[in-house]
Amino acid sequence: MHDRRSFLKLGAGAAVGGIAAALPSAALATECASNIKWDETRDVIVVGSGFAGLSSALNAKRQGLGSILVLEKMQVIGGNSAINGGWLAIPKNPIQLAQGINDDSPEELVKDQIISGRGMQNTDMLRQIANRALDAYQLCIDTGVKFREGFNQQVGGHNKARAIRTLHGVGGDITTKLYEAGKKEGVEYRLQHYVEDFIMDGQEIVGLKVRQNYRFPDLKTGKTIYIKANRAVILAHGGFSRNLALRELVDPALDKTLDCTNALGATGEVTLTAMAHGAFPVHMSFIQTGHWGSPDEGGFGWSNALLSIGFHKGISVNVLDGKRFMNERADRKTCSDAIMKNRNPDGSPAYPVVFFNHDDHVGAEEVTRAVRDQIAWKVDSLEQLAKQFNIPLAQLKQTVDEYNKQVPLRIDPLFGRMMDTAVELKAPFIVSRIWPKVHYCMGGLKTDLGARVLHSQTLAPMKNLYAVGEATGGTHGGTRLSSTACLECLTMGIIVAETIKSDMQA
Amino acid sequence: MMKTLLLTLVVATLFTGAANAGDLVKMKGSTQGRSNHEFIYQDGCKGCHQGSGKQNATDAACVECHGEITSIPVDESKLAIPEAHPHKSLHYNQGASCLACHSEHEKKAPVCAECHRTWFKEM
Repeated sequence: MHDRRSFLKLGAGAAVGGIAAALPSAALATECASNIKWDETRDVIVVGSGFAGLSSALNAKRQGLGSILVLEKMQVIGGNSAINGGWLAIPKNPIQLAQGINDDSPEELVKDQIISGRGMQNTDMLRQIANRALDAYQLCIDTGVKFREGFNQQVGGHNKARAIRTLHGVGGDITTKLYEAGKKEGVEYRLQHYVEDFIMDGQEIVGLKVRQNYRFPDLKTGKTIYIKANRAVILAHGGFSRNLALRELVDPALDKTLDCTNALGATGEVTLTAMAHGAFPVHMSFIQTGHWGSPDEGGFGWSNALLSIGFHKGISVNVLDGKRFMNERADRKTCSDAIMKNRNPDGSPAYPVVFFNHDDHVGAEEVTRAVRDQIAWKVDSLEQLAKQFNIPLAQLKQTVDEYNKQVPLRIDPLFGRMMDTAVELKAPFIVSRIWPKVHYCMGGLKTDLGARVLHSQTLAPMKNLYAVGEATGGTHGGTRLSSTACLECLTMGIIVAETIKSDMQA
Repeated sequence: MMKTLLLTLVVATLFTGAANAGDLVKMKGSTQGRSNHEFIYQDGCKGCHQGSGKQNATDAACVECHGEITSIPVDESKLAIPEAHPHKSLHYNQGASCLACHSEHEKKAPVCAECHRTWFKEM
């Protein structure tokens, strides 16, 4: 049985990739499926409870795939999705159409993603996702998700206004609704369940070794149980931005001084487990950083919104020498690299400051909440600014004088910044500190269009093993556009349920 | 029965200034616990720890007396902003374990404090 299956897989691999057929079949030294005493059995097990996991679970239930169990290792449902900004790109969404934007289409979105993907994206996958975008939108509406009325915006890298946003501007508006709908329809959710290992029969997954009542991040907590999966295991465990060792292995520029916008659980150990059992990884070193992070708050935070003012209306200054050091309006990668050069002699970060005129933004929500939550401060003069952040005053004054002279000329001779939105700097100022944060992993497990995980020897799907969302790689290529991750996760949750159903009938 | 007793205790302590229902005090030996749970300690560890002191406690023990998360009152006048309601979180709502924010034997910062560092202190 086992030999015959391996033979068939190798045959399929040769047909798909034309290589690898001569390699011996995998023989990993882990627990053998036939010796396991199973504690529980379910038809489908979903690993992770963000957009991808919640959508997969709900749609699996609706496709009639049987008993569905969602395992979440943290003490809250929703993963990183619960804390994200709640942006969702939907071509031809009703708000967009009401705005009179009739020339958008799934293909227009894919065009933008091909540019940001720098040729390394999976265009067929992006097209499939874009073509099902309205299904993802409908899933939200059906489960009671509320979006901002009349709000549809053009966000970075998109050629059309097509990004809608949840009512409260958090992904939690979506995760809580998907969770509640799933609960009502019979999906079972478990918190504090950490996946220790996969139980394999050759290249087929048959169940999971799970640490129950686990307390992140202590692996000694809880006890081990074995859960059998009759039909499928769906990996929806997200990225690995919080795994400092792993991200530095694949991109040494991402050193330990970089915080992360993600929830604490984005540590990627299930990706490593999948790789250990033969799952093929792709684009692991493509990791996006946000140059709009503040070291004075955790996670994604408010800084991003504050700096959309700061980078347009203000300047960024090196605290060690009091000088500007970058084009504040350059792209994420350029700015991140420039910011990270600001270091004390011992290599620790010398967090640069960004400041802009207080009086021009009185009552602005971005400013009010940033000051309230102590990630930004009001200073009454350059003297106070220099004193509070230990900046050489004489040079700081000179920097501001020189900059102000260039504002009416609309030219930045130092860094070639676009000056169309620049204003003359006049105290009092709003000032904050900046340092890049790791934001999103474009890389992960390689799947086919149906979300089946490919094996690294045969390049054929591993039986009953599926992956969706940020856990997967190769979809976005070089870099991902804002508002497209939520779309991918919700849509692939629909598609993976359809795939499993068709695989059952095959 | 226990739930009624608990609610009475909570309501009573909400309006008394200094002493808080959840104050961390010495309970048994070097083990610390919450003053409002003193009566539970008299029965040993098993009540909360799944029948054995060596097992981790789960939400089941909390829910038995306090009820589900969305039914537990919070003094809304003490919130930094109305959206910061920890029992009706915009991020998690029903999908949060009690243990994400509450710890019986030590002080703990709630999960909200991972990002909103000024809204909630250790408790």
